Amino acid sequence: MVLLLRPITALLIGTIFLMLLAWLLWPRKGLISFWSKRSQNMKRKLQEDALKFIFDCEYKHKSCGLHSISGNMNLSTNKAAKIITQLQSIGLIVMKEDEIRLTDAGRSDALKIIRIHRLWEKYLADETAIGNVEWHHGADSKEHLMSLKEVDILAANMGNPVFDPHGDPIPTNKGELPTYQVQSSLSSLKEGDIARITHIEDEPSIIYAQLVALDLYPGMEVYIMDVTDEKIQFAANGKECILNVLFASNITVEKLSKIEPTQKKYQTLSSLNVGDKAQVIGISPKCRGQERIRLMDLGIVPGTEISAVLKSAFGDPTAYKIMGATIAIRKKQADNIYIKSRQNRNEQTARLRELSSVS
Amino acid sequence: MSKQRGCENCQAYRKEQLIRLGIEIDQYDYVIALAGNPNTGKSTVFNNLTGLRQHTGNWPGKTVTRAEGGYSYAGKQYKLVDLPGTYSLLSTSKEEEVARDFILFGQPDVTVIVADATRLERNLNLVLQILEITDKAVLCLNLMDEAERNHIKINDRALSKALGIPVVTAVARQKKGMDVLINTIENVATGKYVCKPHRIKSFSPKLDHAVALLVEKLSRKFKNIPNLNWVALRLLEGDQHIIEAVRTEELGQLSENLKSV
Amino acid sequence: MFNNQEIKSDDIISLTNTLRWELGIDFHDKIIESIYADASKIAKQSIQIEDAKNSTILDQKIDNIITSKWFGFPIMFLLLAIVFWITVAGANIPSSWLAAILLDTIHPFLKNIASQIGMPWWLDGVLIDGAYMAFAWVVSVMLPPMAIFFPLFTLLEDLGYLPRVAFNMDSLFRKAGAHGKQALTMSMGFGCNAAGVVATRVIDSPRERLIAIITNNFSLCNGRWPTQILIATIFIGGLVPSHWAGLVSAGAVVSIAVLGIVFSLLVSWGLSKSILRGQASTFSLELPPYRPPRILQTLYTSLIDRTILVLWRAIAFTIPAGIIIWLVANIYIGELSLAEYFIDWANPFAFYFGLNGVILLAYIIAIPANEIVIPTILMLTVINSGLTGIGEGAGVMFELDSVADTKRILTAGGWTLLTAINLMLFSLLHNPCSTTLYTIYKETKSIKWTAISALLPLTIGFIVCFFVTQLWLLFSS
Ligand SMILES: Nc1nc2c(ncn2[C@@H]2O[C@H](COP(=O)(O)OP(=O)(O)OP(=O)(O)O)[C@@H](O)[C@H]2O)c(=O)[nH]1
Ligand SMILES: [Mg+2]
Repeated sequence: MVLLLRPITALLIGTIFLMLLAWLLWPRKGLISFWSKRSQNMKRKLQEDALKFIFDCEYKHKSCGLHSISGNMNLSTNKAAKIITQLQSIGLIVMKEDEIRLTDAGRSDALKIIRIHRLWEKYLADETAIGNVEWHHGADSKEHLMSLKEVDILAANMGNPVFDPHGDPIPTNKGELPTYQVQSSLSSLKEGDIARITHIEDEPSIIYAQLVALDLYPGMEVYIMDVTDEKIQFAANGKECILNVLFASNITVEKLSKIEPTQKKYQTLSSLNVGDKAQVIGISPKCRGQERIRLMDLGIVPGTEISAVLKSAFGDPTAYKIMGATIAIRKKQADNIYIKSRQNRNEQTARLRELSSVS
Repeated sequence: MSKQRGCENCQAYRKEQLIRLGIEIDQYDYVIALAGNPNTGKSTVFNNLTGLRQHTGNWPGKTVTRAEGGYSYAGKQYKLVDLPGTYSLLSTSKEEEVARDFILFGQPDVTVIVADATRLERNLNLVLQILEITDKAVLCLNLMDEAERNHIKINDRALSKALGIPVVTAVARQKKGMDVLINTIENVATGKYVCKPHRIKSFSPKLDHAVALLVEKLSRKFKNIPNLNWVALRLLEGDQHIIEAVRTEELGQLSENLKSV
Repeated sequence: MFNNQEIKSDDIISLTNTLRWELGIDFHDKIIESIYADASKIAKQSIQIEDAKNSTILDQKIDNIITSKWFGFPIMFLLLAIVFWITVAGANIPSSWLAAILLDTIHPFLKNIASQIGMPWWLDGVLIDGAYMAFAWVVSVMLPPMAIFFPLFTLLEDLGYLPRVAFNMDSLFRKAGAHGKQALTMSMGFGCNAAGVVATRVIDSPRERLIAIITNNFSLCNGRWPTQILIATIFIGGLVPSHWAGLVSAGAVVSIAVLGIVFSLLVSWGLSKSILRGQASTFSLELPPYRPPRILQTLYTSLIDRTILVLWRAIAFTIPAGIIIWLVANIYIGELSLAEYFIDWANPFAFYFGLNGVILLAYIIAIPANEIVIPTILMLTVINSGLTGIGEGAGVMFELDSVADTKRILTAGGWTLLTAINLMLFSLLHNPCSTTLYTIYKETKSIKWTAISALLPLTIGFIVCFFVTQLWLLFSS
C-alpha cells in the first residue's frame, strides 16, 4: 500500500478531526448551538420582556413605573428608561403621570408573547422530557421566535390547553384572558388548613428551582401543619416540607373545604412488594401529559385495586395486575403513583388521628 | 352460544346468505368498524368475517394501520374496517390516531366493539367512551374461552341492559359466535334493533354545569345533532376538529367532510 | 321559533374558554375517573369471578420462570440461538436450489435466446447481465432466510413470549435511554432491517421509537451475514489450523454481530442524551396471557408477507442497481471503464481506512442491497486487476463455489488480513440499504431522520476503520 502519511501522523490528524467535530456539534455547548443562541436579537428581546412585565402589572392591578421595571428585569435605570422610550416611540405604551400604560397595540403584542411563552412551556412540560427548571428558559427564547400561526398549530395539536404548567392561564388566540382574581398564597394559610396548589410562580428562577426541588406542583394537595412568623410547615405529596414565608408567598393556593387530608403520608406503588395488593389513590401531578393519560387509560385511577405480580429479571420494571391485565411499568413511573396498601390501613388511620389530636 | 337478546321479531341467522368478500368490495350498504382495546381479537374477528388473512398476534398493538374488507349477508354488502387497538378516545397519542379518527369522524353505520371478557372492566372504559358518540354499536365479548378457564362468569343479559346495546359472546379463534354477531350487526344496521346506549350521567357538579351551559348554547345554534353532550365535552377538552367545526358552523356536516378527506 | 342568528359561533368558543378556565387543571382526570366509576359499577353488576386465586396460576408459574434472574436470560438466548440456527441451517438448501434455477439455468437460457434473436450486446448486457442478475441474486440469497426467520419469530410472538423478552431486557435498554421493546426490533433487524424498522411501531413512545429506528441498522441483517461468513472463513479461519478454522471464523462473525449490539446500545445512549434529549418518552408494556400459537395460519401469513417484501424490494431497488453495475463496468472513457476510473481515484483515500477503491465502489453501487456486495466486489476486482479466465465478463456479478478460488481473486486484488477485518467492520457499520432508508422515510416522514440514519453509521464506520487501520499499521511496522 502506498500511504502518503505515516500512521502516527494520520492518527494525529484523525484525532484532531474528531475533536473538532465534537467541538462543533456538541449539544448545547458546541459551536453550532452557541452561534444559534447568539443570533437572537437582543434589543427586541428586551423590549418584549418589558412589555410582558408591564402587562402583568396591569393584569394584576399593580402600578408600574420605571423602577419596578428596572428592578424586575435586572437592568440599570438608564437602560430601562431607554427601553421605555423605544416602546413609547413605536406606540406600544404611553406615560400617564409617571405610570406606564399599554396602548391597545401594546396590549395585543404583550398577549401574543405571553401566549407563545405559556404554550411553549406547556409543550415542553407535556410533550417532551425536558425538566421543569428548563421550561421557563426554553420558552423565554422561543417566545421571540415563533409566529402566532405556528403557535396556533402547536396549540391545536396539544388540545388547545388553557393553563400552562405553572397554573397560569394561557391567552386565547383572540387575546382573551380570564379576569384576575386575587388568590391566597400558601403563606396566608393557617394551621390545619387543607388547600390545593393552583400556581407556582416561576420567577425569580432561584426561588422556583427551590420549589421544584421540593417536588411541588400545581394540583397538589397540601396540609398545613405548623405556621410561625418565618416558617411554614406543611405536608404535601406524602412528604413534610418546611418553607420560609418569602418562598411560600410564591405559591398560590385554593383552599379546600375538607376537614381531613386525603392522606398525610402517601405510599408509592414502587414500594409495593410482589404479591401484595393495594388501592390506587392517585397519580402525582408531576406525572403529566401523555404519560399521565396513558396510565389512567390503563386503569390507574383512584379506587382501582392493584397488585404487584412480577419483577423483571433485573428488578425493574415491575408488572402489576390492574383490572385483570398485567401491565409493566418502570420504577420511576411507579414512584409517581400513590397507593393505600391494604395491610397498613389501620396504621394510617391511627396516624391521622394522632395528627388531628396534635393540632 | 348465547342468543340474540331483546329482539323478538328479528330474523334468525341464515348461513347460506353469508358471502365472504375479502377485499373485493367496491359498493357497500353499510360500513362496520371493529374497535376495541389492543389484543382483544379484532383482527381475528375481521378475518373470520371477511375471509382475509390480516396479521393477528398475541402482542398488543399488532395492527397498526386500518385494514378494510367486506362480506355480504342477506343481500346487503358490508364494508368492514379493522382498526388498531386503542385504550381510549380521549388521549392525544399519535399511535391511536387512526382508530380514534375513524370512530369519531368516519361515522361507521355500526361500531362493533370487541372486548376482552377477562378484562372487562378496563375494556368498558373504551366501550363507554364509544357509546358517548354513537347510537349504533354492538359489544362482542370475545375470549370467552379464557374467561371460562379463569372462572369469570359474565351475565351478558345484564350487561346488555346496562349498556343499552346488544352483547354477543364469542370465541373468535374457534369461530364461535360469529353467526350471532353477523346477525346482530344486520339487526342494528337495518334498525331492527334500536340501541339505547348508556350515557354517562354525571361527572363532577362543576363539569356538569359547564356542559349544560354549552349544550344550551349549542342546541340553539345547531339543531338535529344527536349528542350535543359529547360535542360540549370535546369543546371543553379543546379538540381542534370540533372547535373548527363549530367556528365554521359546519358541525352538522362534520362527519361527511372528514369522511371524504 | 328561536332566532338562530342570536348566537354566534365565536360566542360559543369564547364561552368554552371561560368555562375551561373555571374548570381548572385537573378536569381531564375527572372525566376519565367518572367514566371508570360507571365502568366499575357496570362491571360489578355483570361479572362474577369465582375462585379468583386459581385463575391465572399457570401463566403466573411460567412467568416466574421466564422472568427469573437465573433462567430468564438463558432461556431467551437459547430460543434466539435456535431461531438463528434453524434459519442458517434451513436456508442453505433452498438458497442453492434457487441459485441453481435462477442463476445457473435461467440466466444462460436467457442469454441464449438473446443471442438467437440478435439482441444488441449492450441491451443484452443491461437487461440480462445487469437487471436480471441482480434480481435473481437478491431473491436466491434473501428469500429463504427471510421465509424461515420471520415465521419463527411470529410463532414466538403468537405464544406471548416476545413481550416477556421486552420486559426482561428493559432494564438494559432503559440505561441506554431506549425502550425494552427495542430488544425485539433489534432481533428482527437480524432478519431484515427494513422489517425491523417497521416493527418499531410497537414502541409507543416517540423518542424511544426514533432511537430504535435509527439504531436498527446496527443489527447485522440476513443480507450481510453471507459476506461476513465468507470473508471470515477466507481470512480469519485461514489463520489457524484447519480443524479450528470453522470455530474461529464463526467466532469472528459472532463478535461482529455482538459489536453491532454494543454499537446499537451506545448510539441509543448517545442519541437520547443529545439530539433526542428533549423528546417525550413514556413506558407501558402489557403482558398478554400465553396462548398456544396457531402454527399453520401464522406460517402461511408470515411466509406470504416476507416473500412479497423480498420480491418487491428486488424489483423496485435491485434491478436499477444491477443496471448501473453493468454500466459502470462497460462504459469506457478512453482506455478505462468508469469503474476503473473511480477505483483508481478512490484508492489512495480508501487505503487510509484499510479498504480499497473496489470496496468503496461496490458499497456505493450496491446501496440497494447488501447481498450483492460480494459478487460486485469479485467482478470489479477481476476487471481491475486484469485477471483472465475467471468470472463472467465485465459487469456480470458472480460468486465462486470454491472458497480457495475466491481467496485467490481477492489476494490478487491486493487484499490482506487488514482489508478483510475492515471490510467486516464496514459491512456492519455503513448506511442502511435503500429499502431500509425508504422504510425509515415512510415511518418517520422526515428527511432529517432519514439522513441521520444514513450518515451516522457511515461516519462511525469510517472512523472505526480509520483508527483500526492506523493503529494496526503503527503496531505492525
Ligand atoms: N383463546 C382465544 N384467543 C383468541 C381469541 N380471539 C383471538 N385470540 C388470540 O388473541 C390474539 C390477539 O388477536 P388479534 O386478532 O391480533 O387482536 P387485535 O385486537 O387485532 O389486536 P391489535 O391489532 O393489537 O389491537 C391472537 O393470538 C389470537 O389468536 C379467542 O376467542 N380465544
Ligand atoms: Mg389487530
